[in-house]
Order: sequence, then structure tokens, then C-alpha cells
Amino acid sequence: MIKFHNVIKLYPKGVKALNRINLHILPGEFVSIVGQSGTGKTTLVRTMIGEEKIDYGKIEIGGWDITSIRPSEIPVLRRQLGVIFQDFKLLPKKTLFENVAFAMQVCGGSPKKIKKIVPHVMKIVGLESKIHRYPQEVSGGEQQRAAIARALVHRPKILLADEPTGNLDSLNANEIIELLLRINKFGTTVILVTHNREIVNRLRRRVITIDNGMIISDQAVGKYVL
Amino acid sequence: MFISFYRVLKFSFQDVYRNIWLSLVTVIILILALFTVNMLLIVKVIGDTAVDAIKEKIDINLFLNNDSEENEILALKAQIGGFSEVREVTYVSKSEALEKFKENHKDNPEILEALRELGKNPLTPTLVIKPNNLDEFDMLINRINSIDSDMIESRNFTNYKVLLDKINVITKKVTDAGLFLSSIFVFISILVVFNSIRISIYTHKREIAIMKLVGASNWFIQLPFLISGWFYTLIGVGFVMIVFYPFLTLLQPYLEAFFVGYNIDLVSYFYTNAFTIFGAEFMVAGFINMLASLLAVRKYSKV
Repeated sequence: MIKFHNVIKLYPKGVKALNRINLHILPGEFVSIVGQSGTGKTTLVRTMIGEEKIDYGKIEIGGWDITSIRPSEIPVLRRQLGVIFQDFKLLPKKTLFENVAFAMQVCGGSPKKIKKIVPHVMKIVGLESKIHRYPQEVSGGEQQRAAIARALVHRPKILLADEPTGNLDSLNANEIIELLLRINKFGTTVILVTHNREIVNRLRRRVITIDNGMIISDQAVGKYVL
Repeated sequence: MFISFYRVLKFSFQDVYRNIWLSLVTVIILILALFTVNMLLIVKVIGDTAVDAIKEKIDINLFLNNDSEENEILALKAQIGGFSEVREVTYVSKSEALEKFKENHKDNPEILEALRELGKNPLTPTLVIKPNNLDEFDMLINRINSIDSDMIESRNFTNYKVLLDKINVITKKVTDAGLFLSSIFVFISILVVFNSIRISIYTHKREIAIMKLVGASNWFIQLPFLISGWFYTLIGVGFVMIVFYPFLTLLQPYLEAFFVGYNIDLVSYFYTNAFTIFGAEFMVAGFINMLASLLAVRKYSKV
């Protein structure tokens, strides 16, 4: 599903954000990528969604070599990946329904399709009763759920979650992780980037640890080792 | 496809509406630029009309002796008519000259009375020569001066060329000043449109980031801003069209009073050529605005 071959990403002054990353993530896996702040976790995500170009090596997503992806191909790639972030990235002047529908509107989704799919994904994330609320009227956990719903509207095969619980209390954080596990059960590959030791240890899934841009540990059923 | 285009248009209008004051300033600057360009056009039309009218009036009168024989006059007419610098030679006989004189002074009884008291026709036969090309005017005068004939009583060579040169110089100076002013406004328009689009992009930064994140195509993200550029042009040209005709109607009587005897009708000129003038202005201004928008979009909304 996702393959990194000897990937190197350099930042100015020769700083190696990613240093010879070799990685193979299988379809349907739930993988946690852990490491302290500034170790290259987010850079890894950014290279997967075509936001950063690598300087050496090769990246394949679903058999597609995205190493030298053209700007016009990036939107096609992003429709196959769902991405969520720590800051939710919701539009404050749109309701939760409109926020989710927005993702379909800007990609040319018909009003009929939007009416059918949006309530469905809102139900999956447990927000069916709050679709007409604005982001500021719901909790952080619910905002993150709406962001997950938005990431799911294109039925992605991979869901990238970059510190999705970073802004949440432990109760909301646990709910989000439960939701990600449920989405994973449907067959979606989930990549969770986090530095939350407690969550990683409880998951008992594959854990890849990054330090100074290098993979220092890759355990099938791992723990937070740093 | 249609639904996407409809949404692009919707986002574009939202962009104009959400930054309404900025949009207004942009349109006002565009209107000023277009107005200056049209004023320049007015100066050109007036200048051209004045020059053409004066050119049409330019002729050389060759006054002949009263006792000249008709066949000799016609021979002289043929000789001058053969010059390459001459477009037309007209022979005005004594009696025709008198009729013309009476006609010209029919409202002046004192002159007509004086003519009657004189008892005879005091006017001389005349050859009226129209030059072919004004640039050869000096050459034509030299050739006419070189004609050695006892028939020629006097030669009237008012130097129209100096007058025309003066009009051309004034028209050119006004045109140059207008061009300079227009260039400044066009330059300011480009900067203002560029800046408006840049600010619009900043206003929509969050939306753009989300659009990119969820896989909106580049054209879907960029097109609304380019359409905003065209929209500003459309409003600007439309406003100038609405305001310009009443302005011309107000200006027309003053022009007619100033240029008595000349046919300067700016309103009908702008009516006849409305499609060409405003169409060209829309295309050129739209293209310039789109270029400015494109630069801003490329620079500030990188995908």
C-alpha cells in the first residue's frame, strides 16, 4: 500500500528531516508513527500527500510512484488519502454539515451525491444529531470527528492522522482513537502520527519510532520506546 | 462540469462581496484609467477633425489680370493642372467671382451698395489651386512662383502649413500627456488588482488550504480569483459606458461653440464606434487584470 525506499529529505543548511527511510505499510494496517517533536514525523506525512518533495529515494502509494508527482496530479492523490490534523482545519462560518459537504463541492460532487454521502459519514462519526451546529458550538472531540467525516467523504483507502488528539483531553482523545480503530476495521489503512505514549501503548498495534529523521524501531505489536 | 463552473462563479462573487471595500477601490481605479483613455480618444478625434477641416480649406489663389484672354487662362490652368503636386485647379471667372462675392456679403448692405456705386465688376478672374499633398506645399509654391506669365496679377500664399504644424504639435503634446497619464493609471490599476487578489487570497487562506487538502483541482482553486479580475473589468467598463455618454452630451455644446464651422460630433462618434471602443477596452483591461490576477494567484496560492 505505502512504500518508502531509501527516502531522504533535506532542509536548508543540509538538515536531514528524513534520513534513509525504508518503510512498507500493508493494506488494512493500523500503524502508529511516534517520536518526539521535530524528529520528522510530520515531514513523513507531508511527503505522502505530495506537500513536500523528497531529495532522494522513491515513494509509492497504492502502486503509484509519487516521487516526481506533477502539480496537476496532486489533487488526484489527495482524493485517495484522507488527512486529519491537530487543529481540525474546519471553516468557522460553515456548519459541520457544510464543512463536510465543502470537501465534496470543491471536487465537483453533485448535490444529490452530497445529500446522500454526508449524512452517512456524519452517522459513522456519531455526529448525526449535530450536523447543523457550527464548529465553535461543539467540543474539540466533535470538531475532530467532523474533520474525520470530511476526510472520509472521498472513501479513501488510507487515513493519515497527524497528531489528531493533540488538542483534546484524554476522554475525547480516547473517543477519536476508538473511531479510528472502527474505521480501520472497515478496511481503511490508518496511519496515526502521535507522541501520546499512553494511547500508543494501549493500542497494541504496529509502532514505528522515528528519531532524528531515521527509523530506529519498527515493531509489529509495539510500545512507545523513547 | 457545469456544477463546478457554477461553484467557481459563486466563490468568485463571494470573494468580491466579502472584500467589498477593496473591490470598490479596485473598480474606481479602473474607472479612472478607462476614463483617461477615453479622454485621450476625444482629444484625438478633435485633433483629427480640426486637421482634416483645415486641410480641406487649404488652397492657393492665383489672381489674373482683368484683360486676360479666356483661352490663355485655360492654357495656364492646364499647365498648372499638370503639376504632380496639384490635385485640382478651378477657374473662377470675373462674373462667377462677383456672384460669389455678392452671395458671401448678402447680409452686408453697405458693401453691396459700395459695389453698386462702383458701377463695374472690380474682381479679377482667379485660378484656385488645391494641393495634392500638404507635405509638398512648399514645392508647389516654388513651382507656381517660377511661372513667368504676364497674366498673373498677384499670388495669395497664406502659409497654412505653419497652422497645421501648430495644431499637430498641440494635439501631439496633449496626446503624449494623456498617454503618460493613462500609463500611470494602467500601472496603478495593475498594482491595485494584483493587491486586491493577493488580499482576497489571504482572506481565503484557510479555505484554500482545506481545498488543497481535500483534493480540489488547481484550476478550481485559482479560477475564482481570475474571474474576479474579469468581473472588476466588466463593472469598470460598464460604469464608464453609462457615465461617458451623458458626459459627452454635456461636452458637445461647448465643443460646437468652440469649433464653429467644424463638424465635431463626439456623441455620434462614440455611438457608432461603441462596440469597437468599449469592446477593445474590455478585452485589453480584462487581459491586463487577468494577468495581474494570475501573477498574484501563482505567487500566493501555491499548490
